Amino acid sequence: MPHTLIVGYGNVLRGDDGAGFLVAELLRERIRDPEIQILSQQQLLPELMEPISRVARVIFIDASVSGRAGKFQRIPLRPAPACARFTHHATPESLLAGAQSLYGHTPEATLYTIPGRFFETGEELTPSVRRAVNELAATLEVELAVRPSRGA
Amino acid sequence: MPRQTIVIDPVTRIEGHSKISLHLDEEGHVEEAYFHVTQFRGFEKFCEGRPYYEMPSLMARICGICPVSHLIASAKACDAILAVRIPENAVRLRKVLNLAQILQSHALSFFYLSVPDLLLGMDSDPAARNVFGVMQANPAMARDGVRLRQFGQQIIEWLAGKRIHPAWVVPGGVSSPLTAENRDRILAGIPEALAIATRALDWFKNEMERFREEIRSFANFPTLFMGLVGDDGGLEHYSGKLRFLDAGGHVVADYADTTYPDYLAEIAHPWTYLKTSFYKPLGYPDGVYRVGPLARLNIIDGVSTPRASQEWAEFRELDRGAVLSSFYYHYARLIEILYALEKIEQLLRDPDALDANVRAHASVNNFEGIGVSEAPRGTLMHHYKVDRDGLITWANLIIATGHNNAAMNRGVLQVARHFVHGNKLSEGMLNRVEAVIRTFDPCLSCSTHADGRLALEMELRSHEGELLDVCHTR
Repeated sequence: MPHTLIVGYGNVLRGDDGAGFLVAELLRERIRDPEIQILSQQQLLPELMEPISRVARVIFIDASVSGRAGKFQRIPLRPAPACARFTHHATPESLLAGAQSLYGHTPEATLYTIPGRFFETGEELTPSVRRAVNELAATLEVELAVRPSRGA
Repeated sequence: MPRQTIVIDPVTRIEGHSKISLHLDEEGHVEEAYFHVTQFRGFEKFCEGRPYYEMPSLMARICGICPVSHLIASAKACDAILAVRIPENAVRLRKVLNLAQILQSHALSFFYLSVPDLLLGMDSDPAARNVFGVMQANPAMARDGVRLRQFGQQIIEWLAGKRIHPAWVVPGGVSSPLTAENRDRILAGIPEALAIATRALDWFKNEMERFREEIRSFANFPTLFMGLVGDDGGLEHYSGKLRFLDAGGHVVADYADTTYPDYLAEIAHPWTYLKTSFYKPLGYPDGVYRVGPLARLNIIDGVSTPRASQEWAEFRELDRGAVLSSFYYHYARLIEILYALEKIEQLLRDPDALDANVRAHASVNNFEGIGVSEAPRGTLMHHYKVDRDGLITWANLIIATGHNNAAMNRGVLQVARHFVHGNKLSEGMLNRVEAVIRTFDPCLSCSTHADGRLALEMELRSHEGELLDVCHTR
């Protein structure tokens, strides 16, 4: 059973929106640890609540529309239920709340955001965003070498 | 009292973007109602010029919920262009994939989108009437919903490589055979999923009594019903003949699915981007029909799996002819979940399920191809024409929600006349008008995203624009 779950998400056909997805893809190439599960997805889905509840640490990676391009931000997360009127919109906080509510456990959670510049149709990342993607992947590779305690 | 219009915008907990307008007369009675689909996609036009073999993957992008359905109907249209008979095991694996799609989509529709109304009540606090409210009120049921949808998506991933937008179904078959490991993983998950489906069905049947008014008024009127049936008249989602049944339960006609232009026609309305289809021999509006789970369970002569067959027999006793209330779409959806699980097991236990011969190869042999299959929400039709180089010159898609469009509009009118009165609005009224749409589980081609404005607001104005009442959800 993995102790860490990484979820990189975004639409790789909408330019910089795919930054989180691509970080997860890079990590999947570099990390060969059965204790770390890496998912790259177009969007967050309620089905993630169950695997989230099983790990000690979850890391979400997403693009953001605000912030300085070329950098990334680290945001600690807490569970927070959200209004769910559509099927396409789930937040990391709402998934954590669901994991707690349905499965009795929510892990230590962090969101990394990579500010993007262009979210138009296309597969190319802005060069500064590409640099941030590479930097975040390298940073996480080091960070993930340290294992969290199971009791977290 | 002046004439007024009530606008519900957007309609929530459905796939895609739409609004509803209700037109009231001088006495405050609902005179007319419209279901407006406000998004425009244009897939039929921008695929022109693309090679036919790109179509399955391209068309799967229409939707993030039912990509598999488009993949299958599109690949069948391409099979017809190649003029190939695809290998038997390719048919079997496509059927398993289609049933997994139906399983996960029905689980989404029932547990995530409709259980909030059914469990918490149509008049309950709208701020809590969502999947998170369900988690609080009945965590076991929420877990069941998550697990069932997860299992359907997992089957899709094990078969086709990924859950959303897989490209495994190709013209001529599928791109790779099933492995023994993945077959065994799927079979191992069936008992738990069957237990969940049975629990949900039992719960729904016990709760139906609480919804007498909704059963009576939710698109409960005579129409035709249409869908695929097998050669034996049984429940079928992949291929067969197209059957029309009338409200009295009599078979009107069985047609070859590839001749749909002979008996179906489409019209456009100025108030929606969604075209409306009708049965040509009866014209419009007499030729209005419904598709989807309710229609499928109405048109068939039997079900080939034991537990679903038993449930179907009980379902058919709801009415002497066809079951007419669209509230029962929920019920039919649950029976189809049971069927999908039993049928997947049957198909995978076939000794040839691991056969490696899963693709036929050919080049363009026909300049036209039609592919028809049953998507979760109803009959899906892809129709392409190509030139001698295999480039698409024309495409027409008729999706389930288009087949149901006229019935949905009529259903909105019926439920609005039943529940909306005068110049005072309540949130519960509004929710019932939306809930009748949810019974059909419309898919309005949902690869576009919500605009972030999740709250719902309904305004009641006089014809001079005077604001008489406002109703909000938080």
